[in-house]
Amino acid sequence: MPPLPLQSDWAFVVENLDLLIAGTGVTVALTVASILLGFLLGFPAGAIEVYGRGPLKRAVETAGVVLRGTPLLVIIILLFFGLSVSSSAFVTATIALGLRSAAYQSQIFRGALQSVDEGQLEAARAVGMGRFQAIRSVVVPQALRRSVPGFQNEFTIVLKDTSIAIVIGLGELLTVGQNLYQGGQSTAALEIFLTVSLIYFVLTFVTNRSLDRLDDRFSIPGGERA
Amino acid sequence: MSDPLLALDDVYKSYGEEQVLSGVSFEMDAGDVDVVIGPSGSGKSTMLRCVNRLTEIDSGDIYLDGDCVTDADTDVNELRKQVGMVFQDFNLFAHLTALGNVTLGLRKVRGMDKATARERGYEHLEQVGLSDQADSYPAELSGGQKQRVGIARALAMDPKLLLFDEPTSALDPELVGEVVEVMRDLAAEGITMLVVSHEMGFARSAASDIIFLDEGRIVEHGPPEQLFENPQAARTGEFLSRLETTHEGE
Amino acid sequence: MGTPESTTTERTIRTRAAELTDQPLTLLTVAVFWTWLVVRWTNDFLLDGALIERGTSFFPTAPFEAAASALGSLAASLGPVGFPVGWVAGFFEFLAASIPYLPELAIGVWATILLTVLGIALGFVIAVPLSVARVYGGTITRSLALGYTELFRGTPLLAQLFVLYFATPLTTVIRELPTVGTGFIPAQAFWVAVIAFTLNSAAYQSEYIRSALNSVPEGQLTAARAIGLSKVDGIRHVVLPQGLRYAIPGWSNELVYLIKYSSLASFITVRELFERTDAIASETYRYTELFVLAGLFYLALVISASLLMEYVEEQVAIPGLGTTGR
Repeated sequence: MPPLPLQSDWAFVVENLDLLIAGTGVTVALTVASILLGFLLGFPAGAIEVYGRGPLKRAVETAGVVLRGTPLLVIIILLFFGLSVSSSAFVTATIALGLRSAAYQSQIFRGALQSVDEGQLEAARAVGMGRFQAIRSVVVPQALRRSVPGFQNEFTIVLKDTSIAIVIGLGELLTVGQNLYQGGQSTAALEIFLTVSLIYFVLTFVTNRSLDRLDDRFSIPGGERA
Repeated sequence: MSDPLLALDDVYKSYGEEQVLSGVSFEMDAGDVDVVIGPSGSGKSTMLRCVNRLTEIDSGDIYLDGDCVTDADTDVNELRKQVGMVFQDFNLFAHLTALGNVTLGLRKVRGMDKATARERGYEHLEQVGLSDQADSYPAELSGGQKQRVGIARALAMDPKLLLFDEPTSALDPELVGEVVEVMRDLAAEGITMLVVSHEMGFARSAASDIIFLDEGRIVEHGPPEQLFENPQAARTGEFLSRLETTHEGE
Repeated sequence: MGTPESTTTERTIRTRAAELTDQPLTLLTVAVFWTWLVVRWTNDFLLDGALIERGTSFFPTAPFEAAASALGSLAASLGPVGFPVGWVAGFFEFLAASIPYLPELAIGVWATILLTVLGIALGFVIAVPLSVARVYGGTITRSLALGYTELFRGTPLLAQLFVLYFATPLTTVIRELPTVGTGFIPAQAFWVAVIAFTLNSAAYQSEYIRSALNSVPEGQLTAARAIGLSKVDGIRHVVLPQGLRYAIPGWSNELVYLIKYSSLASFITVRELFERTDAIASETYRYTELFVLAGLFYLALVISASLLMEYVEEQVAIPGLGTTGR
C-alpha cells in the first residue's frame, strides 16, 4: 500500500534537505559578497555625494537614481545576457546585487555623514587636522556607527533579493526549490516552497538579531542613537 | 433639595505603589466655580481626569447630576458628552482648523449636519473672541489663542461641567491674561467649572470655593476669603505664602 | 526598523530623486512618455486600432536608420576623432532598433501599472487595520499583526509568489470565476500576482503607517476621547488623518518598490513589461537594447510616481503637520 501523499511529500523534502542546505549556502555567500561589493562602492559614493563636487558628484548621483529606479531583474538580465559581464551566474548576480546595493548604501552613508554635526568637523580642523584627515578620523567613525540601522535594513533586502538570481539559473535556495518542484515531485509544491520560505525567514531573523547586537555593541555611551 | 451637580465620595486611586488619591470627597452645585490648588504631585490632575474617566478610580463613587458615573455599565462616551475638558498643553487636533476642532465633536458625537455644526462652531469661537481665526490651523495660532480654541471646543458640546487642567501653565506669561479673561466670562455666565490652576487672581475673583489638595487628601475646602485670609490648616497657609512669593518673583 | 533615522533616510532618498525630477528635461521626457502611453492605449484598447493598426509603431524606423548610417559613415570618415559622432550614430541605431517593439511594451506597461496600483491600493486597505492593531490592539491582535508583518517582510516576494501560484489551489479557483481572462479582464496569473503584492505590500505599508501613528502625540487621542468620541472614532477621525500624512514619505517609497518588484510577476507568466521585453528579446536576441529600453521605462514610471507623490503631499499638506513644517 502506498503511503499517504502528505507524508511522502514531506519525506521528499526531508530527503532533499542536503540540496536545500547547499542552496542556502549559495544564498548566504551571494548575500555577503553583494553586501561587501555594495559597501566598497557605496561608501565612497555616499562620501562623494556629501563632499564631492562637479561632474564626479553629478555622475555618482545620476548612477544612483538609475540603479534605484530600475528593477533588479532588469539589471541582472542586462548584465548577464546583454552585456555578458561574466559567464559565471554567481559573479553576475554579485555584480548586479552589489551595484544596486551600492546605490542604496550610498544613501544610508550620505544621510549618516550629513547627520554628524558640522561642529565636529570644525573642532577637528581647529586642532590642526586637514580636511581629509578630519573627515576620515572624526566624521566617518561617527557616521559609520549611525548607519547601522539602515545597513541592517539593506542587509535583509539583499538577502531576500538573492532569490531573483533564479532568473539566470544560479543555484541559490529558491532555484533549488524550483528544481525540486519541477524536476522532482510536483505534488510537493507547498511543502517545498514553505520549507524554502522558512529558511529565508530564519536567515533574515538571525541577521536582524545579530545586527541588533552589533548596533548595541558599537553604540557610543551617551551618544545619540542613530 | 436638588442633588449637587458633581459629588465625589471617598475616591481612592493609586498607580502601583504610589497612592495618588486617598479618600477624596467634595460636592459642587450647578453654577459653582471650584478652583483646586496644591503642590505638584498632590493628585489635582488625576482627580480631574477621574471625573470624566480618562483615569479610572480604584474605589469610591462619583456622581454627576445625581447619576453614579463610576458604575461599570456607565457609557463613558455619554459621560464625556456632558463633561468638557480643557488641557494644559491644549491638545488641539493638529490636522483640523480652529473651526474644525470645535465642530468635530458636534458632527461625530452629536451627529449634527455640517452646516448646523459650522454655525454653532462660529458662535463658540465668537464666545472666546476668535471667530476671525476660524480657518487657521493650530500651528498658526499663538499659545493663548490655542487654549481659547480648546475652551471653545469643550464649550461646543454644551457640557454640564467644564474641567480645566492647568489651562495657563504652558503659556508664556504675557498670554495668560487672555485665557483667564475668557474663563472669567464663562464663570460670570454661570457655567459650572472645576479648575486646577494656580492663577490666584482668577481664584480670588471668580471662585465660589477653593479646594486645597495635598498628598491625595483634601486639606481644606472653603470660600476664597476663608482660605486666603484665614486658613484653618497650617499647611494651607504655608503653601499659599510660598505660592505668592514664587509668583511675585516672576 | 521603523526608527526616525530610517524615515529620514527614506525621505532624503526621495528628495534626491525629486531634485532630478525638477530638471526641465526630465519633466519633458516624463510628459512625452505619458502622452505616448495614453495615445497608444486609447488606440489599442478603446478605438480598436482606429488611429493606427494595433502592434504597429507610430514612428517610422526609416529616418532613424538613415540618420544612423549617415552618421556612422561620417564617423568612419573622420577617423580617430569621429568617436563622438559614432556615439550619436549608436543612439540613432538604438532608436531605430527599439521602435518596432514600442507598441508591445506599451501594453506591458499597462499591466505593470495595473499590478502596482491594485497591489498598493488593496494593500493599503489591509495595512491600515493592521497598523492600528499593532499600535492600539490588545495582546492577541497585536501579536497576530506582528506575526503577519514579520512573516511577509522576512521572506522574499518571489517565494511568496511561488507559494501562491504553484502550491495553492488559488489559480484553479480564480480560473473558474466568471469573466476572468475574457476581454479586458486579465487571466488568473495576473490576479494571483495582485493577491501576492497586496499581502506583501500590506506588511510593508503597515510598518510605515505604524511608525507614523506612533509619532502622533498621545494627547490627540486623549482629547478626542474627552469630547466623547469612542476609541475607534478617535483613531478614525483624529489619529489616522494625522498619521497617514506622516506616512506619505514611507508610502511613496513603497510605491516605488512595488513598481520595480511588479516585474517579478513575470515568473508566474503575467504578461507585464518585463515579461514582454523578455519574450521579444529571446526571439530577437537584442537583449541589450530591449532591456535598456525596459529599464528606461521603469525609471520613467518611478520618477512619475515620485512626482505624483510630491504633488499629493503638497495637496494634503497642513501647516505644522507632517513633512512641511516639522
